[in-house]
Amino acid sequence: MDYDWNVSLNRAILNNAPKVDKILRENPYINDIARDLRERKLEVLSDIDTYIKRTEESVKKNGGIFHIARDSAEAMNIVREIIGERTKIVLSKSNVLYEIKLREELSKEGMDVWETDLGEYLVQINNDMPSHLVAPAVHLSKKRISEILNENLDSTINEYTSTEEMVKKVRDFLITKYLSAEVGITGANAVSADTGSILLIENEGNIRMDTVLPSTHIAITGIDKIVPTLKDAFNEVIVQAANAGFYPPTYVNLTSGPSATGDIELQKVTPATGPKEFHVILIDNGRREAMNSDLKESLLCIRCGRCYFSCPAYRLYGKEFGTSPYTGPTGIMWSAIVYKQYDKSEMCMHSGGCSVVCPMQIPIPKIIEKIKFKYTG
Amino acid sequence: MVEVLRERIMKMKDMVFENLMDSLLPFPMDTKLFSSWTSSLSKNKKTVIYTSYMYQISGILKKYEKLFPKIYRINMPKKLISLSKYMIRPGDSELKRAFNIINNISNLLKKSNVDFGYLYENEPYSGAILLESGFLYEFKKYGEKLRDFFHEKGIEELITIDPHTTNALKRLKELINFDINVVNYLELVNFEGSGEYVIHDSCLYSRAMNMYTTVRKKIDESGIKLDENYLVTSKEMGICCGGPLSLVSNKDSDDISKMRAESLLTVNENVLVMCPLCYENLSQHISSIKDLAEVIS
Ligand code: SF4
Repeated sequence: MDYDWNVSLNRAILNNAPKVDKILRENPYINDIARDLRERKLEVLSDIDTYIKRTEESVKKNGGIFHIARDSAEAMNIVREIIGERTKIVLSKSNVLYEIKLREELSKEGMDVWETDLGEYLVQINNDMPSHLVAPAVHLSKKRISEILNENLDSTINEYTSTEEMVKKVRDFLITKYLSAEVGITGANAVSADTGSILLIENEGNIRMDTVLPSTHIAITGIDKIVPTLKDAFNEVIVQAANAGFYPPTYVNLTSGPSATGDIELQKVTPATGPKEFHVILIDNGRREAMNSDLKESLLCIRCGRCYFSCPAYRLYGKEFGTSPYTGPTGIMWSAIVYKQYDKSEMCMHSGGCSVVCPMQIPIPKIIEKIKFKYTG
Repeated sequence: MVEVLRERIMKMKDMVFENLMDSLLPFPMDTKLFSSWTSSLSKNKKTVIYTSYMYQISGILKKYEKLFPKIYRINMPKKLISLSKYMIRPGDSELKRAFNIINNISNLLKKSNVDFGYLYENEPYSGAILLESGFLYEFKKYGEKLRDFFHEKGIEELITIDPHTTNALKRLKELINFDINVVNYLELVNFEGSGEYVIHDSCLYSRAMNMYTTVRKKIDESGIKLDENYLVTSKEMGICCGGPLSLVSNKDSDDISKMRAESLLTVNENVLVMCPLCYENLSQHISSIKDLAEVIS
């Protein structure tokens, strides 16, 4: 086993797992709303067309622009069309952006594209892939991070530089990127069909910048992220944050259209200070097919990442357990949905901790059993 | 880069499935020897203790795993393979330990007034390996054969003594019309014990079959003291012994066993297990390890 990986992971587990357990014990309402959320998400999965339609109508009503993409290629074409001649792009952490290879593609086309989440930024400058849904750079030790920053950002950084100092240097660099960015691209933790709003949860404050400083905000996410109401969307981000170990979350960003003001005679005028354009791109990429198969419950995943630390295969194989960004127990299900890759399921030992901790009560081992069958059947 | 060798997995499936459909056993084994732990149980009962040979063969599974690539690579003839039952045998002390465990469970059942018999050398294997490797089609097919066999023998209830067999049969109830009652011995017996241990839960008992709390309650009431640590022994954070991974890689499987053993030993140097395969994997790295059925009466 890789020594560095083992040390980093054990530290992460020690810092995270007891904290999540404490949050959930002290706030029992979170498990209650998680149970309700599961039911609400199942409703959407059973009638996806109605909910997509409803979301489209709501987004349009707010002055946003709605798009639907069948696959990565279609999603990328929509993004290119929206971006047009502009070249300065900031991104916030999103698995869907990895799924469609957005940064890779736009960088190849000569654009200046920057990840603004600290972990993602480290992954980007290290030419790496994320190893965890919530903590993408969990595989990098502090020493390794100092080397990466030394090579790519500031040669005065070394292994003795404090974590605070490293974070400050990255922040100083990223501020210049936010201020010059023309387009901000984010994912979405939840999309409410009744109001056409997207919710994004974070602690760093980068998403807040990405969504208000550039004149165009594009939110790209899967159709599985639709929930019936704004209340469900808030529930989803709270359940996600708590199970990721961040409670209360520092920021919850809600966007329901381009910026607007009603300060002059209550007449709604858009844009105001924030973006002029707000686009929502919902992508299918295998999700609809999965809704009608025995992978259906995988689509309930809210990407809290809790299942990773309860999984022996992830502890051993790290990001090789799955197809990055979809790694860990949920990643085995999502590699099957999105990439039709089934082989890594054979590494699953059916230890079962994943489904015990999953707030959405996804029967992960049983679903992986079916994926194994797809591989060997 | 980790590599999953589909060919190895598929060959294993073909071989095991063929053996099961032919002989109700996953590979040739000396069932007379493996069932000789008792001679006093009736052969004509509707309820039987069902070992599925798990305690008897757990020690030789690794030897089979090593032999397996050779068998499929040189396409070893069936006749020669069948001789392996005499070549690959557990050591005397291994078998003695397995027999003691099964006898102890049998005695506990009697003490709890359970009326049961035994199928002796006619006992079939459960098919758990097919289920756990994701060969669902073959598992269901074999399950039907197994059900028909038990019907023929007039069996109405099976008392299982290990997690893999229990889980396989309970899953058959979900997957096919397996109308034979399945009950695990831990649900039927009360026991006494002593000593202080850290427990390595069987994944199947504690998480797949949701027995985490009931098993702990029984152990607590027995007089045995269990040391707990959220990161090591909780239902959420406890992990597998690594055994099932040997289908992909023996080395990776052992890496998990080692990792698990190290974390258990931070809680207590005396480790308790409830599964013959967990014992086999963890005993490579833990010197003081016992099956629950070895320390209770
Ligand atoms: S499968 Fe469950 S535990 Fe894992 S990331 Fe998704 S919601 Fe969280």
